[in-house]
Amino acid sequence: MAVPKLEQLSKSVVQGPSLATGAIPTMDWMEYPAVFKSGNYAYPAKSEKVAYLDSQSGLHFPNSREWSPEDDDWKLPADWKEIILKGLKERLEKFRSLKIFMDCCVRCGACADKCHFFLGTGDPKNMPVMRAELLRSVYRNDFTLAGKILGKMAGAREMTVAVLKEWFMYSYQCTECRRCSVFCPYGIDTAEVTMMLRELLHLVGVGINWVLEPVSNSNRTGNHMGLQPHTFKDNVEFLVDDVESLTGVRPNVSFNRKGAEVLFITPSADVFAEPGLYTAMGYLTLFEAIGLDYTWSTYASEGGNFGLFTNNETMKKLNAKMYAEAKRLGVKYIIGGECGHMWRVVHQYMDTMNGPADFLEKPVSPITGTVFENAASTKMVHISEFTADLIKHGKLKFDKSRNSHVKATYHDSCNTARAMGLLDEPRYILDHIVDWVEMPENTIREQTFCCGSGTGLNTDEIMELRMRSGLPRANAVKYVHDKHDVNMLACVCAIDRATLTSLMDYWNPGVRVCGISELLANALVLEGENRADLDDGFRTML
Amino acid sequence: MDLAEGFRNHREKIVNKWVEYTLSTYVSSGFFVRERDTFANPVGANIRQALEKLFLLLSKGADAKEFVPPLEQIISIRSVQEFTPSQAVAPLNGVKHITREIFAADKERKQLVNELYDFEFAVDLAVLAAFDIYMHYRERLYQVRINEIKSGSHILTDSRCPSNLLPEKKIIL
Repeated sequence: MAVPKLEQLSKSVVQGPSLATGAIPTMDWMEYPAVFKSGNYAYPAKSEKVAYLDSQSGLHFPNSREWSPEDDDWKLPADWKEIILKGLKERLEKFRSLKIFMDCCVRCGACADKCHFFLGTGDPKNMPVMRAELLRSVYRNDFTLAGKILGKMAGAREMTVAVLKEWFMYSYQCTECRRCSVFCPYGIDTAEVTMMLRELLHLVGVGINWVLEPVSNSNRTGNHMGLQPHTFKDNVEFLVDDVESLTGVRPNVSFNRKGAEVLFITPSADVFAEPGLYTAMGYLTLFEAIGLDYTWSTYASEGGNFGLFTNNETMKKLNAKMYAEAKRLGVKYIIGGECGHMWRVVHQYMDTMNGPADFLEKPVSPITGTVFENAASTKMVHISEFTADLIKHGKLKFDKSRNSHVKATYHDSCNTARAMGLLDEPRYILDHIVDWVEMPENTIREQTFCCGSGTGLNTDEIMELRMRSGLPRANAVKYVHDKHDVNMLACVCAIDRATLTSLMDYWNPGVRVCGISELLANALVLEGENRADLDDGFRTML
Repeated sequence: MDLAEGFRNHREKIVNKWVEYTLSTYVSSGFFVRERDTFANPVGANIRQALEKLFLLLSKGADAKEFVPPLEQIISIRSVQEFTPSQAVAPLNGVKHITREIFAADKERKQLVNELYDFEFAVDLAVLAAFDIYMHYRERLYQVRINEIKSGSHILTDSRCPSNLLPEKKIIL
């Protein structure tokens, strides 16, 4: 029998045309349809959640219905095309940035290979420039002279159902991490293009449940889980019990206390799910150690703002809730916990949406007297800024050996690193509390790789997609795991704590994930403590 | 001219072709082949590193157990990408054909083509091992999914507040 040729090998294994044939594409990118199959899309939002949100003041979520991405017919409203084009027109007029982003890209390709979705999938439509092109092509067709006259020659195309389906696929294969924007010579924020795509899709009732149900819960009870005040309070008190049994010191907590100096807001995941629980125990321990006059709120019981992943009105409303509560309680300012996108909203959008928060005071640390000028307008200080300042002034006492079971590395969470420039404070804290090493230079700080599951993509039905988009991050962790025996991935984001855990379980078993405040509390020496030998820090089962 | 020397002389050429063939299974193969930085191009760089290691092992007649680490480096990636199981492992087989083609094109080493039985048998073993590894990683993926559901993260959307567990209609006593 003749030896089969190499080309025949792939053909003999693969039936029909596919990626594995290595064939050079013969069609233009516009002609490739998005194909939905189980595992490559997140479940659509439940109809009743969309209807509920649409009924709420200040929010607009029309066209609720049952539909499936795998069906040919998405049951779009009859005038869906007019809705989309009108929505785009309004947004081009309202957001100058969008108009600039649509016009100024020269397709230089600097962003092309910077996206973790592209690096993990090799799908050209995951190049940020191409993802933006999905919208830009429609923009050209209907809003530019060149596009109207030259059509496809000018890179324009008509808005069709196939285009809409493509938008859905690729705007939910972007975690709005903004790594691409770091490399764009024009400063195009491709995350904002994704945000616009998602906004437009919501106008025709196309959204995912993992985003809209937390949004609806947050609107109703104040947090993603829909926890009611008594449940939230109980959960925090369980953690107080745990800290007491581990350290012998019982942290003082209060809820909705008027006149407290500080309101503390953190992602609700910190108070109910591992491994965030340990981070929350860290906050409680730290605040007890310095005797901070602070309160939790059972209404502003969520730092996370999934509104950022839906539309600007929802983002504004959920952000406003935190400030409304600060005003109601009469606190001086807010300290925010280890959250990702809460900080992006606060630093990039809050001031023009709900700010400046003039009814609050410029944050001043009651322990060190440091004035947080960077938070002069938002009146909200990051826990790591606050903690680093305490350490700088020698206000905390550590026993680093209590973290001797840990060899850490630090994952810069996208939002805190790129959207608020929080790069050195967490590192400064780590230097004082634990033995740790950096990951390679092109995977940290401003160039950090996303966990692959942000912007509401942290749902289990797309686990494979999450594993491939998280590969660039996991690959860098593997390097320090192999070379330096790193066994802990520290970060300052609740979504990271949940999703990096899964990412490590797949790519690097043996590497756990924690918040900075957990490691801090492990090493913190408390006055009057009566601590057993905690060989696994705050995770020790007694 | 013995086979070992043939492998040594043509190693770079064979491995390069093997890497290019494997990466041609991705739509954006050009970038995956070109960029050599492991952290800027994890798919391309890991596949290149692993195939280099694997070729050395295959050509020196190493124990099949030694194939596992480089195979894991490749298959862990391909088992979460949009490939069927056969597509995920198929490129491994390609090295048999690449090696034959390269030896056959070399006038001085043409006769080595007839001595490739052991090498090709080793490739067969590697392909079989790759199926086991593929399944291992798929099972790990499902376990990760189960762990996530068990950990409570799913409560984010898939459960309700405890008060919702109460019957919707009032129970008349």
